[in-house]
Amino acid sequence: MKKMLLLVLLIGLLTVGSALAADPIRIGLMAPLTGAWASEGQDMKQIVELLAEDLNAAGGINGRQVRVIIADDGGDPRTAALAAQRLSTQNILAVIGTYGSAVTEASQGIYDEAGIIQVANGSTAIRLTEKGNPYFLRTCPRDDEQGLVGFKALKDGGFKAIAILHDNSSYAKGLADETRALLQKDGANIVFFDALTPQQNDYTAILTRMRAANPDVVFFTGYYGEAGLLLRQKMEMNWTVPFIGGDATNNPDLVKIAGPTAAAGYRFLSPPVPQDLDTPEAKAFMASYRNKYNAEPGSVWAVLAGDGFRVITKAIEATDSTDRDKIVAYLKNEMQDFPGLTGEISFDEKGDRVGDLYRVYEVNAEGKFVMLP
Amino acid sequence: MKDYRPVVYAAFCVLLLLAPFFLNAYWVDVLNNVGLYAILGLSLNIILGHAGLFHMGHAAFYAMGAYTTAIINTTYQIPVLWLMPISGLVAGVLALVIARPIIHLRGDYLLIVTIGLVEITRIALVNNIFGITGGSNGIFGISRPEIFGFRIRRPEHFFFLIWGFAAVTVFLFHRLENSRFGRALNYLREDETAAEGSGINTAHYKLIAFVVGAVWAGMAGNIFAAKMTIIAPESFNFWESVILFMIVLLGGRGSIPGVILGAFLIAGLPELFRQFASARMLIFGAIMIAMMIFRTEGILPPRPRRYPAPASGGGEGAS
Amino acid sequence: MDFFLQQLTNGLAVGSIYALIALGYTMVYGVLKLINFAHGDLFAIGAYLGLTLLTAFGLTRFLGPLGVVIVLALMVMGLVAVVGAVLERVAYRPLRQAHRLSAVVSAMGASIFFQNALMLIYGARYKVYPHDILPKNVVSLLGVEVPLVRLLVLLTSVLMMVALYLFIQKTRIGTAIRAAAIDQRAAKLMGINVDRVIMIVFLIGPALGGAAGLMVGLYYGQINFTMGWMYGLKAFTAAILGGIGNIPGAMVGGLLLGVIEAMGAAYLSIAWKDAITFIVLIAILIVRPTGLLGERVAEKV
Repeated sequence: MKKMLLLVLLIGLLTVGSALAADPIRIGLMAPLTGAWASEGQDMKQIVELLAEDLNAAGGINGRQVRVIIADDGGDPRTAALAAQRLSTQNILAVIGTYGSAVTEASQGIYDEAGIIQVANGSTAIRLTEKGNPYFLRTCPRDDEQGLVGFKALKDGGFKAIAILHDNSSYAKGLADETRALLQKDGANIVFFDALTPQQNDYTAILTRMRAANPDVVFFTGYYGEAGLLLRQKMEMNWTVPFIGGDATNNPDLVKIAGPTAAAGYRFLSPPVPQDLDTPEAKAFMASYRNKYNAEPGSVWAVLAGDGFRVITKAIEATDSTDRDKIVAYLKNEMQDFPGLTGEISFDEKGDRVGDLYRVYEVNAEGKFVMLP
Repeated sequence: MKDYRPVVYAAFCVLLLLAPFFLNAYWVDVLNNVGLYAILGLSLNIILGHAGLFHMGHAAFYAMGAYTTAIINTTYQIPVLWLMPISGLVAGVLALVIARPIIHLRGDYLLIVTIGLVEITRIALVNNIFGITGGSNGIFGISRPEIFGFRIRRPEHFFFLIWGFAAVTVFLFHRLENSRFGRALNYLREDETAAEGSGINTAHYKLIAFVVGAVWAGMAGNIFAAKMTIIAPESFNFWESVILFMIVLLGGRGSIPGVILGAFLIAGLPELFRQFASARMLIFGAIMIAMMIFRTEGILPPRPRRYPAPASGGGEGAS
Repeated sequence: MDFFLQQLTNGLAVGSIYALIALGYTMVYGVLKLINFAHGDLFAIGAYLGLTLLTAFGLTRFLGPLGVVIVLALMVMGLVAVVGAVLERVAYRPLRQAHRLSAVVSAMGASIFFQNALMLIYGARYKVYPHDILPKNVVSLLGVEVPLVRLLVLLTSVLMMVALYLFIQKTRIGTAIRAAAIDQRAAKLMGINVDRVIMIVFLIGPALGGAAGLMVGLYYGQINFTMGWMYGLKAFTAAILGGIGNIPGAMVGGLLLGVIEAMGAAYLSIAWKDAITFIVLIAILIVRPTGLLGERVAEKV
């Protein structure tokens, strides 16, 4: 009996769901709202919702309001495929997201088949844009580009013995692998290469082992949470080796976790975040964000989701059309140096973001991030 | 009292069979997921429900099946469905090797060992063991299955593949349940010492149950890989094992309809709660507690075994 | 040798936290034979409550470091104990007569519920404890430099373990708990109020978990809503390793687990650390099927 009831319920919910096709332009957001990457997903949601609100308050796109439809991908490919199926049936024009290359990949084919434009924000694996999928773009840089930046920073620093530490997430591993390959080709001496397990709080065993390898510098490609703890525990054991991090450490919470003394002197490579840009768009966004959430935006990935939303709405506005071919053509060919929240945005034919994005940041003695020239 | 169950089951089957013609792609895909979990749940049911082994590492065998399919398919372009028996076999052989030394562990000790098993598997996959698992990026580009030249691609197509396989599973496991083997398993679940005393080689039976469950999970992994075309370690973490564990217990240990209902609840409810966005798992957790409190032995526990009055003496020795 | 000793202290510090959480696990298990999968989340609740109380009352303004920690610990333990008792009343008591795995599902539900409740209340981002509460001194021990706080963490865990052990062995209530652990029905016949005993167990176990949560918050500074899951699993592993249901076993198991992890990371592979730990665990259980200090009875499951 219960099973029948459930099925009736399923069918009922479906009919209600599909009957809602109204006038506003519908844009999807696929984000990890639950699960291990929930902090990224919740930030993505906050930022995209805020931008949509502001856009609608200012009159929408050529007079049409925008509605954001959110689906939780749980940070897992299986749930992501379901989320993508669900969004595909909701009459959306484009979708923003998601975080994690494998998760994005599980949804790519579904959106492609449904003819929905996808703008990924935190999926850096090279192969995603190498498939010739016309409706796929991303606002984040690719692993190979980041690897090059990491390599340059380490080479320019003149370090002799290099330790590389990642966290086995697809992003951090990709960056670590690319950087290592370039360093090895250049004949650098990599004295340590390994992965920590995220969210375990105590990294002293790893630091002790790394210290025994006696590196001049540690390149950590993982996240700010672990980076903060590493810096703090490194100071506790009186180890003074410099740390360089990737863009996943670009988060003000890093300093809160490490403490300003331990964080001072830490450097990382990252696209600029809106806090550092003096464009009117970035300033307006920051004012609005602080006003609504009374906090600083989190990681750069969430802001990149905001940029995804902004380029899509811009393209709809500029082409005054909801024809996806026109929109994609505009994004790939006509949009040049669009003032994004993470610097200027242009896309190439593959849908990758082009341009020299990266900046080097350093944490100063007060615990503030300073962009180095 | 008249037994309405056959009517209910028949109505359920008809409704399910008609579902893809009325539902959109999303809900069909939800049903596909439910079907996959039902197959996995049924395979775990042999181990957990019938043999009573606390096995919380089933995702490991599921992963082995999926990765076997993915690796062979992407390297040698062998059609996916041909790999189904191989996936099952690999998972089964590994289960045999792994389970042998640990099968004598009792209750919670076995539980932690099986948790360890799934964690070791996941870590091995993430660390790209032997350079063949693709690390945390997983393996992509797995080809779609084909049956007699028909390419299975859309959720509606998968629906029939998955639920067809589920139907086969139900049929076979139902037979297994009522076989001498199934009854022996129940005996050692209820009283291992007594079972041992009546001449049942308990370790042997447990091991078979373990391997049968693993083979089936491996084959389910094959379908999963074919459906997703990309697999990553995150899909096979400890949590996935917990979900399977809950499916069996929530529905009713040892009951085939119960496990299928459990799959509907555990894999389906979070989808129904999508409208609650971030709170959906919170509600899901609360409902799980509530369901367990109201149906303490699972929602559809198995009926006690009944045998026709002994017309003739003898019968099978193991009962 | 220095390297070894350093890693040993690293392992012991982590292990003492595992041990503290494992104590709660093992206590509940001892009496109810229930694997309380929500125990790790009670630990996380402790960490979050500690932060809330710390900032809400501004304790640091009128108390020294020791005072802050003690007052905070008492408050957190009290509150988490209440949460634990409510959990028992709502989610476990109705299942007491059912098969023991039924309560496991309920515990999983509770774990999902708590974890997501924390996320919805506090947000998904990391929360950070203030830095200036604990002293930053480093002491030299056998030629190894160890932060003072690490020693305090270890010391606190050992003290709590000893206190708990004495409580169980020497007091009347402790005797009642032991009686209920052996045979609930017989205990009832001897005039022991078993419901009350279970209530007490569900006050003490979660309180210890809450204390561990506060300790992690104060010491590491960083907490997040999923931490309960990871620590809970480690603590369960520790409890099993020592022999579940056995209080000194939980302590030994916890410390040993921490040391195995540190040594795995030190001499083998960091990325494989957790896998190595499980392999060692499995090896130990193959040799000693009921854990290190577990009783070798023909247990009926």
